[in-house]
Amino acid sequence: MKEKIISFIDKKLQRFDPVWLAENGLGGQRTRYRDDGSGIARYREWRGVEDTFQDYVAWLKNVGYMGAMVAKDPVKVMKGIWEYRWMGSFLGSFAFVDRIYEGYRGRELDIANIHGNAIVRILTLRIGLILHNDKRLGGGEMTDRMIGLDETIPPLFTAGFPTLNAEPMQTMPEFVVCDVDQHLDPYYIDVAESYGLAPDVCSRCSAETGVAIDDAFPIFGKLVLSTNQPCNASEATSMFQRRRFRQKGIEDYPFVFAMQHNTKNGNDYSREELRQAIQKIEEVYDVKYDWNALFEKAKNMNHQNQIELEKWEIFATPFSPLSGINESLYKLVEWALVNGHDEYFNEIDDKVIGIMRQAVRDQYQPYKGKTRHRAFLWGPSAMYYTDFPTWAQNCWGIDIVLNMDSTMGHNMINTEDPEQALTDLAKFSEKGVMRHHAVGGWDNVNAVWEWASRLNCDMVICNDNVACKGMNGVHALLEEQAADLGFDFLFLPHDLEDCRTIPRKEIRKAVNDYMTIVKGEEPLDATLVDFDDAEAW
Amino acid sequence: MKKLIRFVFKLVRRVITIGVVAFVLTFGIYMSNAENKLIYDVVRPFLTKHYDKQARDRRI
Repeated sequence: MKEKIISFIDKKLQRFDPVWLAENGLGGQRTRYRDDGSGIARYREWRGVEDTFQDYVAWLKNVGYMGAMVAKDPVKVMKGIWEYRWMGSFLGSFAFVDRIYEGYRGRELDIANIHGNAIVRILTLRIGLILHNDKRLGGGEMTDRMIGLDETIPPLFTAGFPTLNAEPMQTMPEFVVCDVDQHLDPYYIDVAESYGLAPDVCSRCSAETGVAIDDAFPIFGKLVLSTNQPCNASEATSMFQRRRFRQKGIEDYPFVFAMQHNTKNGNDYSREELRQAIQKIEEVYDVKYDWNALFEKAKNMNHQNQIELEKWEIFATPFSPLSGINESLYKLVEWALVNGHDEYFNEIDDKVIGIMRQAVRDQYQPYKGKTRHRAFLWGPSAMYYTDFPTWAQNCWGIDIVLNMDSTMGHNMINTEDPEQALTDLAKFSEKGVMRHHAVGGWDNVNAVWEWASRLNCDMVICNDNVACKGMNGVHALLEEQAADLGFDFLFLPHDLEDCRTIPRKEIRKAVNDYMTIVKGEEPLDATLVDFDDAEAW
Repeated sequence: MKKLIRFVFKLVRRVITIGVVAFVLTFGIYMSNAENKLIYDVVRPFLTKHYDKQARDRRI
């Protein structure tokens, strides 16, 4: 009876379902959007009774997480929104969640909402913690027991300091908020450039510098661990950030990894750097490193990585309901921000792998079986176009099976012997965000073909950060190899965090041109081929 | 006993009424995308004006 009623309502309301509209040539995803380039939809996506209700419940949960953050310390949260431009950008989070999961149905949507809720939960918890303890806003009980980390340092090793709390410095003011609002980082980039700094560097480093110059980092802790970030331009931005932190009375310590990290010598070097960083924290905070506390959290990380390895096996099949931005954004947050510190994420992993195993048993067809190409997305993606994989699937049936950054640090950490654990942690950290494949020698870059073959991809899409001088040198080599190996291959030009240089529309045009001119294919949803979202968050 | 039953019925009715009103209200906001329209059209322009007026200490 219940199914009959649902089926009746679904039939009556299907004319509001953008997927149905596209299938029948009557419209599509963009039909429900305002036509002012704002990216604001006139109404939310109707996905059928069951999926819409499920998405509504997930939205309510997100409202609850945000409400809880405000309720815990309403004064500091309001002060934070008033003080920091980047806090204003986080208000676009609801629209962000909508656009990254657009067009999802069935099990894809199940996993997306589980992941989406987990991401909103951890971000609201961490933002709440940072604002509550920000000296600029009055400080809190943890203020002097927090450690600032460069966000590319994996925080797992800090689990050995259970009375301290390590927070990545750039993640909230500059990095993850660029996912939410494409117009935030251009402001900080302009601040850096108006200071007289070169405009042709990596926009991420430039934006971080702008945050430092604009005095927009939250202030907490006694020590910041800076690092040699995994690309060029990074030394300058570390230098500017260091000046600002010192002005605020926060000491800095450079925690430097080996850039050639496939060698034993490199690993030995990184291990000693790690040992010295631990000693530095012991000295500044007058605490002793607790190996047992580290082992407890390392077990969480190992559990996460064991499931990750199984996920990769399922990604190689055509039955995975987890792919695209749903996979990569969750992985980035779980790996780079949580990094074994929160057991809740292990529960999420257990739940999701259960859905994936069932999908394989059922020979489930994700995206209603509309996938035409299986693509590996290589190179760092445009931060201001997080929903690109969603668009690629909805418009052209290109399923982004896996993203380069999702292959980061997956070695297991020894949980009994401190010396071996240190060696494992050093290797794990060297294989962190971007470091794993974007630096460290030609073999790391060239691993793209092995990954694409292993996951049964017929297409490789290579993100081309136009300001990344390191990767500019390998264009022709990659194109030649793609031709030799028989992959469909295209470069996706972008400027990482500056949406003005190569807007989202231009990124889409690169794919549109390839799909129409080279492949001669028709779009699945014609409304998605060419549209204006320049003013969208 | 009758009083208790009446009280329970009253309570259940009230809970259901509150639940239905809350559902209609929140589902209405959800489907009409009202919170995003409010933030995009009203809250963010107001905040951006404020941020643009801020004097930031840019000496490093």
